[in-house]
Amino acid sequence: MKRKTYIYRGFERFWHWNQALLIFFLAFTGFEIHGSYKILGFENVVRWHNIAAWALLVLIVFAIFWHFVTGEWKQYIPTTKFMKAQISYYITGIFKGAPHPTHKTIYNKFNPLQRLIYLGLKIFVIPIQVTTGFFYLFYVYPDNPIHIVGLNVVAIIHTFGAFVLMAFVIAHVYLTTTGHTPLSGIKAMITGWEVIDVDEKEERQNNLMNAVNESAAGYYRLNKEGIIEDVNDAWLEMYSCKSRDEIIGKHYSYTRDKKNLAELDNLVTRVLNGEVITGMPVMRRCFDGSSGKHLLSANPVIEENTVLGLEGFILDIKESEKLSEHMYFTVRNSGAGYYRLDEKGVIIDVNSAWLEFYKYNSKDEIVGKHFSITRKPDDIDELENTFNTVMSGDTITGKIATRRCKDGTVGKHILSANPITIGNKTVGMEGFIIDISKLDDKSI
Amino acid sequence: MLTVKKSQQKFIGLLVLFTAIILPWIVVVLYEYSTQQVGGNSEVMLVNFKKDTVINVDHSKFWLLQQEFNDPREVTKACLTCHNKIDREIMMSSHWKWTRKYVTEQGDTIELGKKNIINNFCIGISSNEPLCTSCHIGYGWKDSSFDHNDKNNIDCLVCHDQTGTYKKFPAGAGFPVTKTKKFGNKTFTPPDYNLIAQNIGKPQKENCGACHFNGGGGNNVKHGDIAREMNQVTHDIDVHMAIDGAKMNCTDCHKTEHHNITGNLYSIASVDDNRVSCEQCHTGSPHTNSILNQHTDKIACQTCHIPEYAKVSSTKMSWDWSTAGKLNNDGSLITEKDSLGNMTYFTKKGSFVWKNNVEPEYVWFNGNAKHYVTGDKVDPGKVVKLNTLLGSYSDKKAKIIPIKKHVGKQIYDTENNIMIIPHLFGKDSTAYWGNYDWDKAARVGMASAGLPYSGNYGFISTEMSWPINHMVASRNESLKCTDCHTSNGRLNSLTDFYLPGRDKSNFLDSVGIILILMSFAGVFVHAALRIINRK
Repeated sequence: MKRKTYIYRGFERFWHWNQALLIFFLAFTGFEIHGSYKILGFENVVRWHNIAAWALLVLIVFAIFWHFVTGEWKQYIPTTKFMKAQISYYITGIFKGAPHPTHKTIYNKFNPLQRLIYLGLKIFVIPIQVTTGFFYLFYVYPDNPIHIVGLNVVAIIHTFGAFVLMAFVIAHVYLTTTGHTPLSGIKAMITGWEVIDVDEKEERQNNLMNAVNESAAGYYRLNKEGIIEDVNDAWLEMYSCKSRDEIIGKHYSYTRDKKNLAELDNLVTRVLNGEVITGMPVMRRCFDGSSGKHLLSANPVIEENTVLGLEGFILDIKESEKLSEHMYFTVRNSGAGYYRLDEKGVIIDVNSAWLEFYKYNSKDEIVGKHFSITRKPDDIDELENTFNTVMSGDTITGKIATRRCKDGTVGKHILSANPITIGNKTVGMEGFIIDISKLDDKSI
Repeated sequence: MLTVKKSQQKFIGLLVLFTAIILPWIVVVLYEYSTQQVGGNSEVMLVNFKKDTVINVDHSKFWLLQQEFNDPREVTKACLTCHNKIDREIMMSSHWKWTRKYVTEQGDTIELGKKNIINNFCIGISSNEPLCTSCHIGYGWKDSSFDHNDKNNIDCLVCHDQTGTYKKFPAGAGFPVTKTKKFGNKTFTPPDYNLIAQNIGKPQKENCGACHFNGGGGNNVKHGDIAREMNQVTHDIDVHMAIDGAKMNCTDCHKTEHHNITGNLYSIASVDDNRVSCEQCHTGSPHTNSILNQHTDKIACQTCHIPEYAKVSSTKMSWDWSTAGKLNNDGSLITEKDSLGNMTYFTKKGSFVWKNNVEPEYVWFNGNAKHYVTGDKVDPGKVVKLNTLLGSYSDKKAKIIPIKKHVGKQIYDTENNIMIIPHLFGKDSTAYWGNYDWDKAARVGMASAGLPYSGNYGFISTEMSWPINHMVASRNESLKCTDCHTSNGRLNSLTDFYLPGRDKSNFLDSVGIILILMSFAGVFVHAALRIINRK
């Protein structure tokens, strides 16, 4: 799975680019000292080379600190795993458009070759450059207690180190173009964001863990003795409990009035015996003495074939939801027929009154069919108009219509229709019908 | 709206990163430029510098100096009447003794001086004393019988005369003339001893210069860095003695106590003591730039601050005695001169090379020197180094100094393989000047020096190193880094150390360049293959 990920943090990018600038600058001034060309003047380049050397040293100290504090140093531990694959990718695979043999993640930013080369720079080339640089600067003078006899050796090593670093820079800059696109590597080092592979299993675990933590459903876990081991924030809120410390370690009986306890005891016993409870309305006792109603799920916690306890979620049933329940039953049991269509005009729900008006025996016979089945061929256009009007956002409060029943007979009814919106999108149409077949035309 | 905000945030993030990277660079650059300007305008810092104070005594009021003097020794006697311990100070000085104590490699302490050291100018003093000793601070050193213990032989006036009228006769064994006399085209008149004795004072440039400017028999012949023009020199020639500069006298640096004048010239001196140094006033770290101050561990001040010598009058670089003795058909002496009036050939002396504005050569020097001492064997196949300045890169005390290298070709005994001191001067039948017979001159000269002579002579190349200490240039004219830190720089002859900018390992440099070229080649080939395969 690929995902745009924040892979290089601010300090990392600051360090990388400043180090790059300093290395370029040190090479530029250093090779003038070496006598390769004359541009800024010897005195100037010596001074600037020294200043840049100090700056690099400060930067390196910060970078070492950063690597250890963040644990990023582990990224550089060398590995031979996929080493051959990586080498053969650069030699042959890349030309055939083969995929990268290793996958970049934030926990494994570098391929095995990168690990080896970067580690070599960090523990070998740069320390040698710093050490020889310091000897170059300070230890050639015989007054120092530690000194070297001449610059010969340190100067030659220092110069050769510079050549090696330059060769590295050339290869390094080129290899940044072997990412998803030629510039994606450099862009990532500037912005910090790169499209990289994400470990799906890990990602899913994170998501689930996150879901439990952040869920509006309360989560709980008990051990075999019925002692509460963990709850989430939603649970605490439902129980009006101020802190987790007040509940962790207590027996579940603490969460019920005496009269409701037997029910829970029964449930716990069943679950510890392996049963799974998918939904059960129960009454809780909150910490402030009030009580509330919620729906509860429970499943056993099993590890290595042993039941260690149980866990589950609770969903609060609030007053407003009680009202919804009431309305639900109203619609279900109403003498008026209820229907619901999706955005294509397919019937997705009707109530029993509707079925009775249309002389259907069961919902299954009609759900999934197009609304055109409910009209005689001559009247379909009219319903089509109604449907289009409502889908464009209008509500129809009352309209006489002639229905075609299952057996081909017809009946008259008054129809209401309103759009069903989710967010700002109209996803269907619903409404009620009241039968008027028994009324004569005059009374209408 | 949401996406606009996000891109703004992203932009601000990048701006912060960019600023964080660039800001330190700007701060450092500005700081460096601001400090650099302050450093550039700073004054020369001095320590311990004090001009000699003049004791206000009017010698013209002393009755002793108003007597009639017939002989300069009477003047000396008068001086010593009051300055009655000064003779002992004088007699301990090298100006009087013309020797210094020297411990040889074998551990013997010997007296080393003009009597047993030779040079490649007029070679040696034995048998030539009356001429050479006209620069001795005494009277009557006409041969080896001269009494160094007779205090009346001291010449006080040559150093202390302030009238400018006291002159010793060039061939008078240290005496002025008693009657008006010509020497070459110069006329010498008897000095007015009363006037001179009543107008004495501390030595001025003219006093020291009477001998030291004229070493080798003419102006600036020997030293190259001190010459008659120093009496009236300007800032662009010598910042210290300049009449439009520091107006300094010789003794402002060559500090003197009890008539011991500090300073060694290693054409004749051997030991690292009693020296004058720039550091005595300028300290060992006179620069604002610490890298330049580090240089003073290994580089003498003179090396950078005397970029050239013989800036006014020419100095002699080479003296070839082997061509001497040619006469015109009529028997007269041959004289050839260059466009500047410098003699390039003279029958009495041979051929010369003169130079102006000479770039010094550079050597390591630790303050000690070795000399060819009369009687030492020479290797006929090699150039004889009459003096050798000791030191090397690995010698902690050694620093690089500028020198004038004077080369010569002079007479030696081809059988005994020793250098010959010829009898040059004298009104006799053996002196080379007048008879032009090397054999006779060698025989008499060597006998006078107490050395053997086989009767066979030849000419051998010799070399002398003269440290350059004067004609210090102004700061702007001192050497720049790349005078040495470059290939073919001034220090090219000193190869016993690694000099950045000059030295490199050709092998590793080639490997490095190949490495970089191969990296580029690899990148290009790889990139080309990728592009081709993509199509």
